[in-house]
Amino acid sequence: MLEIEGISSKAGSFRLKQVSITVPKACCHVIVGPTGSGKTLLLESIIGLKKPEEGRILVDGRDVTHLSIEKRGISYVPQDLALFPHMSVRKNVLYSSKIRGMKVQSHNNMVTELVESLGIANIFDRSIKNLSGGERQRTALARAVASGCNHLLLDEPLSSLHESLKKDLWFLLKELQKKYDLTLLVVTHDLEEAFFLGDLVSVMIGGRVQQTGGKREVHQQPQTLEVARFLGIRNLFHSRGISGSGGMLSVFCRELGVNLSFSARNTGEAPGISHCSGTELIVGIRSTDVDMRPWSSQEANLSNVLKCKVLEVWEKGGSTIVTALPEGSTKQIEVEIQSDNRDNWGVTRGELVALALSPEKLHVLPSERSVSGFGG
Amino acid sequence: MTFRALSIGFAFSTLLIYSLLVAALFYFLDPSLLSDSLASGRTLFSLRLSVLAATTATLLSLIIAVPAAFALSRYEFRGKIAIDTALELPMIVSPAALGAMILIFFNTPVGVWIQENWAQFVFTVHGVILAQFVTTCGIATRLVKAAIDEIPARYESVARSLGATPARAFLTVTLPLAKKGILAAAILSWAKALGEFGATITVAGSMAMKTETLPIAIFMRLSSAEVEGTVALILILIAIGLSILYGVRLLSQDSDYA
Repeated sequence: MLEIEGISSKAGSFRLKQVSITVPKACCHVIVGPTGSGKTLLLESIIGLKKPEEGRILVDGRDVTHLSIEKRGISYVPQDLALFPHMSVRKNVLYSSKIRGMKVQSHNNMVTELVESLGIANIFDRSIKNLSGGERQRTALARAVASGCNHLLLDEPLSSLHESLKKDLWFLLKELQKKYDLTLLVVTHDLEEAFFLGDLVSVMIGGRVQQTGGKREVHQQPQTLEVARFLGIRNLFHSRGISGSGGMLSVFCRELGVNLSFSARNTGEAPGISHCSGTELIVGIRSTDVDMRPWSSQEANLSNVLKCKVLEVWEKGGSTIVTALPEGSTKQIEVEIQSDNRDNWGVTRGELVALALSPEKLHVLPSERSVSGFGG
Repeated sequence: MTFRALSIGFAFSTLLIYSLLVAALFYFLDPSLLSDSLASGRTLFSLRLSVLAATTATLLSLIIAVPAAFALSRYEFRGKIAIDTALELPMIVSPAALGAMILIFFNTPVGVWIQENWAQFVFTVHGVILAQFVTTCGIATRLVKAAIDEIPARYESVARSLGATPARAFLTVTLPLAKKGILAAAILSWAKALGEFGATITVAGSMAMKTETLPIAIFMRLSSAEVEGTVALILILIAIGLSILYGVRLLSQDSDYA
């Protein structure tokens, strides 16, 4: 188990602010965040390259905060992999065994099996300079796992690979995690990668962990506006709470000029939203969660349904992005529909459509202005 | 004339200047004197002394330069800027002034004590080596630092996360990767030491068959108007120097960690 307790660290004018995360044994915790959010600085603080200003780092309950890098029992794979270019694949993978003087048969067997399962046995005697991107990645993983440390820190491990190879390695990494009981802390800016690899996901923005939880929870219940934006929720509207009790709550969405009801479950842990009357809020919905259909007069009486005029239609390979302007509003809504759905209907510019914002799919977040006011 | 042609013209003008100087040597070259010069005991002594002193001074410089360059490249510490500036001293002070500073040092109580109790430097071979060491140490440190700067520090971080101590990471990762850079620094320092004149003659004098290095021998021959002999010695020095620079070019052709 890896426990990070209130780590603060500094690099130039950038600061990590009291970051606390836990990686349970044999779990993968992914820290996802935009470039410059402090992910690499956090890893460097954990590995011992940066001295934290405060906080503790515990590895299986042992405080390693003040130990030197080699005594922490944590392996590290940096973004550029840092494979030793003057060594062969074999020497890279066996570097730790040689340094630590490990000659135990069981360790040798483990390395042989590891090399086989990573598919690098055939390139074992090749120079690092002659490897492809995927082979370099596998070698770096093999070297880290072969060190015998079960705690691995991976910094954007697959960022330089193309999509297909990247996905192959996702599966491989999960297999390795299971097979060797690896406790993984991975940082990435790739949401898809984060939600695939992570058993737990933390969203880090501006040097702070904004939200931590299971992957479904983080994906479906963003707790702050920054997290929602980072998770790609582009339809975000300023609103004011008008009632707050029971399973369904309501807000008046000023920017759309309508009342919207939403499920109380969608507020997640955000403080105070369940008692939201009069509170400034942000209502958000993913463009993929908006249901779009041709407008008909029956739609007018339905709640959470907006009469909109289609502004633009963009083809995006397997899907189509539509922007639509609700009647009486100046703020447009973005909708993403699968191309096959569109083929059945064929939405066009200027057409009137009904956009249904399902109460179950709406996210209700504290607004930037009202964050300090939450709590009752 | 295009800018490209003009700039290439200037590049060739540098080659022309040096080619003219070398060509002028051949005007006075007496082939029989060249072979006589090469075979003479005095020339061979100068050559041996020059090679021995330059090699010793280079080795001493590297013993200090490699760890010092690593510290300057990798660590932040108080006094780093002062050290970095001091490395330039042999370049901003003329060699004669540097030699004079060494002489003056040996006239201080500490210098006198060293000469009386440890080793005699003034007007001895030790003085030749010391003068060349003082001249090359700063340059060697700067060159090795440039080589280490090129190696990402992440290699050492990863080596340490795999269990290596800082010294082991340095020996197994940084040093092998800096090998070419260190070798190039050694060769350039050696060439600098081999051609060193000002500091050497100031500290060690110009005693024939005792402290007479190749550059000093050239100076002595020229002082006594032996132009043909001077030419022969200069050609030997040029041949050694150019071979060395060619070696450096070959070594620096490719980089392991680009």
